[in-house]
Amino acid sequence: MRSFTHVTAGSLAEACALLSEAGGKGRANAGGTDLLGVLKDGIHAQGPELIVDLKAVSGLAEVSREGDEVRIGALATLASLDRSTLLRETLPLLVQAAHAVGTPQVRTMGTVGGNLCQEVRCWYYRYPRHVGGPVGCLRKGDGPCLAVKGDNRYHGVFGGRGCFAVCPSDLAVALTALGAVVDIAGPDGSRREVAVEDLYEPTTLTLAPGELLAEVRVPVPARPTRQTFLKFTVREPVDFAVVSVAASLDRDGPGCRDARIVLGGVSPRPHRALQAEEVLRGGDVDDQTAARAGEAAVAGAKPMRHNAYKIGIARTLVERAVRACLDA
Amino acid sequence: MDRRRGETRQVRLRVNGQDHVLTVGGPAADVAVTHTLAHTLRETLGLTGTKVSCDRGACGSCTVLVGGEAKLSCSMLTVECDGLDITTVEGLADPVTGALDPLQQSFIDHTAFQCGYCTPGILMSAKALLLKNPRPTQADVQEALSGNFCRCITHYHVLEAVQAAVEAGAASATAPDSRRARR
Repeated sequence: MRSFTHVTAGSLAEACALLSEAGGKGRANAGGTDLLGVLKDGIHAQGPELIVDLKAVSGLAEVSREGDEVRIGALATLASLDRSTLLRETLPLLVQAAHAVGTPQVRTMGTVGGNLCQEVRCWYYRYPRHVGGPVGCLRKGDGPCLAVKGDNRYHGVFGGRGCFAVCPSDLAVALTALGAVVDIAGPDGSRREVAVEDLYEPTTLTLAPGELLAEVRVPVPARPTRQTFLKFTVREPVDFAVVSVAASLDRDGPGCRDARIVLGGVSPRPHRALQAEEVLRGGDVDDQTAARAGEAAVAGAKPMRHNAYKIGIARTLVERAVRACLDA
Repeated sequence: MDRRRGETRQVRLRVNGQDHVLTVGGPAADVAVTHTLAHTLRETLGLTGTKVSCDRGACGSCTVLVGGEAKLSCSMLTVECDGLDITTVEGLADPVTGALDPLQQSFIDHTAFQCGYCTPGILMSAKALLLKNPRPTQADVQEALSGNFCRCITHYHVLEAVQAAVEAGAASATAPDSRRARR
């Protein structure tokens, strides 16, 4: 691992100022479950020159309800979401998604902010420098996307632009289905709010140097909704999603007032399956509707050479998730 | 902003009940800023019971207890561990008598290992579970150990060993009279 300067930040403002000053050569660390791998594999041509530890920043690990929204501090661990009674009662989708991440140890260490901001798992992007030298790619600003002509079995089937790595965050998928926003702190004390799905740009996060996630705000549905998170992985624990789906249905007897269906593992950002939502919205929902929603969810998918299988998995997961919402 | 220049810092660790003060940076450094806790435990403190296998947080071999919770020592920077209370597999046995922890004994009794490389990590995950929940179900044990991988496939023996330790613990926590009455 290359050496770096290490600072333990006492406050979010201090961390933002330090990282802003480092101008893109600094990295924030919280749980470390993503960053340590990135550092050990030396996947970036340079740096980081500065690591800022956020773990001593107080007041950013709470999960609380204020009015009609739930506020989750960026330093809240995935394990704390998993065992939160408040979330279990108000936003069970988030509990399911948090539990789907990694292993018990990873959930004990990993934070909400880190899960949302982790680097992609594309095996070209992540290629370890010590095995035959560095591998450049479009996402690193060094050459074309190697997945286009290479082995793209774990890459996207929707919305890739230049880079076809998929958003690796399970929480992002669930939070998008819940209509959540993230509150971003800037170096000059500023705050700005973006929808969770808008954190993800085609080849990077929308965060500028010196910007850090402060908290996530999730609206609590006015009426209780049926929520299901499903994740297909090669092996059950540890793994990242091949495809995941977050479904939230606002049921009205046999009908459905509104629906949100979001796919993970298929796109650089959480993918709203708007056509599937259209199928579900308004009318009665049964097993046939669930199957039609599955079909609609994958309409317009553009598979590459090795990843067309993801379309079948996405279709089936959406159907199962909707059916689970009917049974719930 | 002096501390940005990476001058000497001290990290205080309590490992298995023993306090250590380690110097990070400077000419008399015990620890480099890039060292992981797993590296420090093994190479600086000589506690080689903690194993490093994947070194990427996926296999669980490096699991130690931090404040009673199972964490991955390969994914923690030592410089960020100031003030932490850490237990490694060396800390499971009774420090006075040397008697093994009932979990360790149960692993021996059930031959719950083959090459043994993953065993310290599995023991620490199991210990973290029992500290929180002394009467876990089989499903609880499977869930708690889902982050520990064994390439020799001793997982079934491990489940038996943990379950036996749970039952033995429950039995010894019950008064002798009531135990006889149950028989």
